[in-house]
Order: sequence, then C-alpha cells, then structure tokens
Amino acid sequence: MMETQGLIAGMLFFFALYLYIFWPQNLLVSQRDETIIDSLLERKEQLDEDLRDLNFEFQSGKYPEEDFKAQREQLESETAQLLAEIEHQKHA
Amino acid sequence: MAVFGSFALLVALALAAYNLIAGGLALRLMAIKRPTVVSPERLAETARRAGIAGFFAVTAAAFALVWSVFTNDFSISYIVEHSNRALPAAYKFSALWAGQEGSLLLWAWLLAAFGFVLRLTHKRDAKLYACAGAILAAIQAFFLLLLCFPASPFALVQGPIPADGNGLNPLLQYPEMVIHPPLLYLGYVGFSVPFAFALAALIMRYPGEKWIKITRGWTMASWLFLTLGIFLGMHWAYAVLGWGGYWSWDPVEIASLLPWLTGTAFLHSVMMQERKGMMKSWNVWLIFSTFLLTLLGTMLTRGGLVSSVHAFAASSIGYWFMAFMAIVLAVCFFTYFLRRGHLKSERHMESLVSRESSFLFGCLVLQAACFVLLWGTLFPVLSGLVSGNKVTIDAPWYNSVAVPIGLFLLFLSGVGPLLPWRATSLKTVRRNFLLPLIALLVTAFVCLALGVRPWKDGAFDQGSFYALLAFALAAGVLTAIGAEFLRGMLVIARESGRNLIWAKLQLIRRNPRRYGGYTVHVGVAIVVVGLAGAAFNHSVESEMALNDRVSIGPYTLQCSGFTQDSNANYDSEYALLDVSKNGRNLFQMTPEKRLYHASGQPQTMVAIHSTAAWDLYVVYEGMSPDTGRPVIKAMLNPLVGWIWAGVLLMLVGTLMALVPKQLTANSGQRTVQKDAEGFES
Repeated sequence: MMETQGLIAGMLFFFALYLYIFWPQNLLVSQRDETIIDSLLERKEQLDEDLRDLNFEFQSGKYPEEDFKAQREQLESETAQLLAEIEHQKHA
Repeated sequence: MAVFGSFALLVALALAAYNLIAGGLALRLMAIKRPTVVSPERLAETARRAGIAGFFAVTAAAFALVWSVFTNDFSISYIVEHSNRALPAAYKFSALWAGQEGSLLLWAWLLAAFGFVLRLTHKRDAKLYACAGAILAAIQAFFLLLLCFPASPFALVQGPIPADGNGLNPLLQYPEMVIHPPLLYLGYVGFSVPFAFALAALIMRYPGEKWIKITRGWTMASWLFLTLGIFLGMHWAYAVLGWGGYWSWDPVEIASLLPWLTGTAFLHSVMMQERKGMMKSWNVWLIFSTFLLTLLGTMLTRGGLVSSVHAFAASSIGYWFMAFMAIVLAVCFFTYFLRRGHLKSERHMESLVSRESSFLFGCLVLQAACFVLLWGTLFPVLSGLVSGNKVTIDAPWYNSVAVPIGLFLLFLSGVGPLLPWRATSLKTVRRNFLLPLIALLVTAFVCLALGVRPWKDGAFDQGSFYALLAFALAAGVLTAIGAEFLRGMLVIARESGRNLIWAKLQLIRRNPRRYGGYTVHVGVAIVVVGLAGAAFNHSVESEMALNDRVSIGPYTLQCSGFTQDSNANYDSEYALLDVSKNGRNLFQMTPEKRLYHASGQPQTMVAIHSTAAWDLYVVYEGMSPDTGRPVIKAMLNPLVGWIWAGVLLMLVGTLMALVPKQLTANSGQRTVQKDAEGFES
C-alpha cells in the first residue's frame, strides 16, 4: 500500500516537473557573443584601478617618488596602448 | 517514503542527463548557426529548467530520507545503521551525513542547490552559464548514478524489520559534528562551480576574465566553508578524541587540506590573471586540481581507499570515483591541449622582487606542499601495489615537511603585501621592511629571554626552534599588515578630516578584497602562533581517589567525587574535579565517559577550561584495570585558544572580502572631491 502511494506521489511529482520544463516560453534570453573589445575594455578598467591603487599607495608613503613616477609612467603607457588597440578593433 | 525517495533520485538522474545533453546540443547549434527545427535558445531554456527541476527532485529525495529518520522507518537499512529511536533530534538530522549513502546524497543536494542559484542568475551571461550548467549536470549525473545504483540510501532491510536501529556512531554525537560535515561538503561542492566555469570558458574560448569575476564570490565562499569545516573538524578531534591534540595527519584530514592548499593558491593567482593577464594556464590547472582533490577527499572519506578513523564506511564506490576522476582528468587534458593557445600570458615577470613574484612563490610553495602531502597520503596504497607491503607514513614525517613549508608561507603572507607590482627598488624595501624586521627581531629576543630557546640540556630542540621562528615571523607579519592598514587609514583621515576608526571603515569599503585578504593573513598568523604553542604541551596522568590531588602548571585538581547519570541514549560516569590556583578555588571540571545503549560503544567527553594563555584539558579515562581506581589525565596546552580566535578573524576577513567594492568614500561632497583630486589623479 505504502509502495503504491509512494509511486503515485513520485509520478505526480515527475509530471509537475515535466510541465515546468517544457511549458512554452515566449521570453527567451538571447545574447550577443563576447568580443575582444569587451575583454579589452575589462583590461582598461583594471588598469584604471591599478592606477588608482598606485596613487593611493604613494600618498600613504609606501613608495619613494622615483618608484612611483616610473610605475605611473608604465601604467599610463600601457593604458595608451590599450586605448589604441580598442580603437583599432572598433574599426577593424 | 523509500519508493518515493528512490523514484525522486531516478527522476533527478534523468533530469541531469537531459540538462547535459540538451544543454550541450543547444550550445553546439548556437555555435554553428544553422537553422534548426527547435531553436537552440528554446532547447537551452529547457536544459536550464531541467537543472532547476533537478534541484527539486534531489530535495525531494533528501526530504524523504530525513522524514524516514525522524519517523524511525527501520524498513530502510540506512536508518537502521545510523539512527535509533532515542537519538536526539539534532543528531537524527545529522544521520543524513553519518553514512556513505547519506553523505553522497548531501553532496548531490548541495550541488543541485548551487546549480539552482546559478541557473536562476543566468541572465548575467546566458551562454557561459549554459555551458557551466551542462558541466555541473555531468558532475551531478555521476553522484546520482552512485545514489541510484551502488550506494542507494533507500535500500530496504532484508528479512524482518528491526524494532530499533543501531544508533549514530558515538564519535558523531557531538554538537560540532552537526555542522562540520555540511561545512566541509559546502567547501568541496562549492569548488565545482569555479571548475565548471573555468572549463566552460576554455571550451568556448571565452575572451577576457569574466569567468573569474563571475566565480570570485563562489570561490571565496567555498574556500571559507572548507576552512571552517577543517577547523571545526580540528576542534571536534580536540574535544572528543581525548588525546589532547587537534591534528594527527590522518589521511582524511589531509584529504580536506589538499583542496584547501590548491584553492588558496588559486585565490591568489587569479589576482595575477585579473590584474596582469598572467598565469592563465596555472589558474585553469589550479582549479582543475582543486576540483579533482575534492573528489579525492570524498573518495578517501567514503571510498575505503586508505585506513582512517574518519573513513566511516569502506566500500566499492572507490572504483566509481577513480573512473570518474580519470574521465574528468582526461576531459581537462583534452580541452587544455585543444585550447592552450587561448591561455597565453599577456605579460611576463619583470623582477624577482615584486608582488607578482611573491604570488608566484606562494603558489609554488602551496602546490609543493599539496604534492608532498598527497604523496604521503597515497604512499601506503602505492607501496602496497608495488611491493605488497603497505608502508604507512606517520606524523613526525608530515611535521618535518609541513612545518617549514607553513613557516615559509607565513613569511610570504607578510612580505607580499609590502612589495609593489612589477619591480621593487632597494629604497622601497628599506622603507617598508624596516618596521616588520624590528618587530621580528624584538619578538625573537623577548622569546629567548622568556625561555623559548631552541636548545634543551645542550641539545637542539626542534619543537622550540620552530615555535621561536613562528612567534618571530608572526610578529613580523602582524606588524607589516598593521602598518599597511595604518598607512591607508592615515591618508583617508588626513583627506577627510575624520577619525581613524571612520578612516578604517572607509579604507575597507574602498578595497574590501585587499583589506579583507590582509585580515585573513592576520588570522593565519594568529593561528600559527596557536599551533606553535603545541611545542610546550605537558601532561600528568594519575589514579585519583576521593580528595586526591594532582598538580599541573599553576593549577591543582582535587577529586571531590564520582557520579553517574543515565538517559534514554546513554549511561554516563564522570569525575568532579575542583580546580584551584594558589590555594584559591576557581571552578569545577567534569570529564565524562559515556556508554551508548544502541551501539554499546563507549565515548570520552573531555572537560576543557580555556584561557588566552592555555587550555586546561582533563580526560576521565575510566577505572584502572589493575587497582580499580579512576584514572584522570590532565594536560596543559598553551595558546590553543589562539587557533580558534585566528579562525574567527579568517572568517571576518573573508566576509569583508566578499563585500562589493566601493571606489570612492561617500562621506559627502568634500571626500568625493578629495578622491577626485587625490586618489584618482
């Protein structure tokens, strides 16, 4: 008796799940493919953050001025290259 | 309920299989962009819904098992073996993971729950989520296969149904045991999520580091759960096993530590990928290995591959695990070789003294530690296969390897935050390292003056030597990180004109991940101080009749009686010990010995009095077989409380790191303006 009840409950449960899965949906999520430009923009965001951190750490006295200037120049040059690459990709 | 539970598991298996096949097919159709009868988006949506439905099916099975435990359904063999009528309600609940079948069901349920949350948030990146969802479904299908066939939790008792069960293993009848296994499993299962996303991103040749950003929170939370699980296990061993220690290098203990080591390496090295586009292959392999090691941990606990006090059930499912791990490894290798061009580093290391190099060294050391410990754990199995003799490796070998590695990692945890990215000049080194170095040397001299000396009676004392190193290094690390906090706080306080407490809050809000991470490092240093205290443990063991006294450290224990108690679950016998210090009565301790009715097994309940300096740890060992007098063992374990305090800090630090970042302090117009002028200039 208990076995039959268990089986019936299981079947009903399965039927409910079946309805949920295959119930027609009109609002389907579609998405454009992630592009190189997206990842370059992500990298740009990261460089901005690195620059902010560097400024903050310099203000806190962690680095001497010459180290700070050298690192900052490097980061700015990388950002400039990245911006050029983004422009290039946009027109490619 | 057994039929319903079994049916729910079968349904869940079918849904996981559908999720995997339909999800994979939909992604393939989207990639080739050919017109099809059913749109790939619709197919992907049914696959996603099957994953969600799978959660409900596994939940139904777990509910059926819990219901059967609470209603004492002894027609199910799992309930007979792991429960009994008199078992308290909390332990009835923990019977769900007391045995092999139940803990596999817990694995499957947690994975289904994580998958459920992910599938509900799929709009963040539908394709990547669909691919990761299909991978999670494949993992789920493996666990459901185990549950439906070789390890069914709903298998029925053969022959007459017993009136009562055998009860829960007495070792598991302890409050920590109600939460230790679920926490450990939350950690194990949680690492499936970054694994699935890493593999999905690699399969799809996904540009950028989006998969890392999506899984950052999952990885940190899984790491936190695993950390808490490991330390709760240590506390349980300390409070229940009665030998005075918390870590015995048991294979199952090591098995939980292995994914923790690679997971820790992964948490650090992904920062290199996010910030510098470096170590991409490392990261992929670190998360692959972490996932494989979580499977290995589950197999060691449940598969009966090695002998362990934790391997509660030896069985044949070890072979299933080995086969699954081989498949996972093959898929990882195949995908990696096919897509390795996608993982080229965008930059190279510029200097050996830089933040990058400290991350790299840290990751290398963590991986080396993982490899050595794995080798030691599997050595009995491998030696048995090669020579026919199982050679076991004991604790001193592990200590001789792990302690120096641990101390080096502690050193790196203090050095890393002080080094700038890219390269470090001598001037920066002098500026940042002077204070921590002074703290390190002063602590070493103070310890030596207080008697922590690496020699005893003219001979080298390794334990004291490592303790001295640990105390000195911890002082250096705490000073280094304290200085990092203080420097940042002073800038914000200066710019905003507010006090240092406010500045500290703003500092954390400005970069919660960094300062949360530093707080975790502080916690680790405190844990290491606590672990180092073990070098100075001492104990006394004595037969004690009424009014007998025994002294240990500053305490005197006087026996004021022995008594017995009984309840439906167990009989207990305990000693009443009055503890005094300098002739002044302080408190009473009641170490206990229990005998559980259902299983007939005895169990020790240790009495512990904790202070910041030490733990007074007392065990009632029962009656001496020779004299018939009660035997009491007392131990004085220095600094144990520091371990648990350090873990709490690690918890706080990880929670801080999980808080979303706020770029500028929003204390009003003035601060924002200052940020714009100063921090962002």
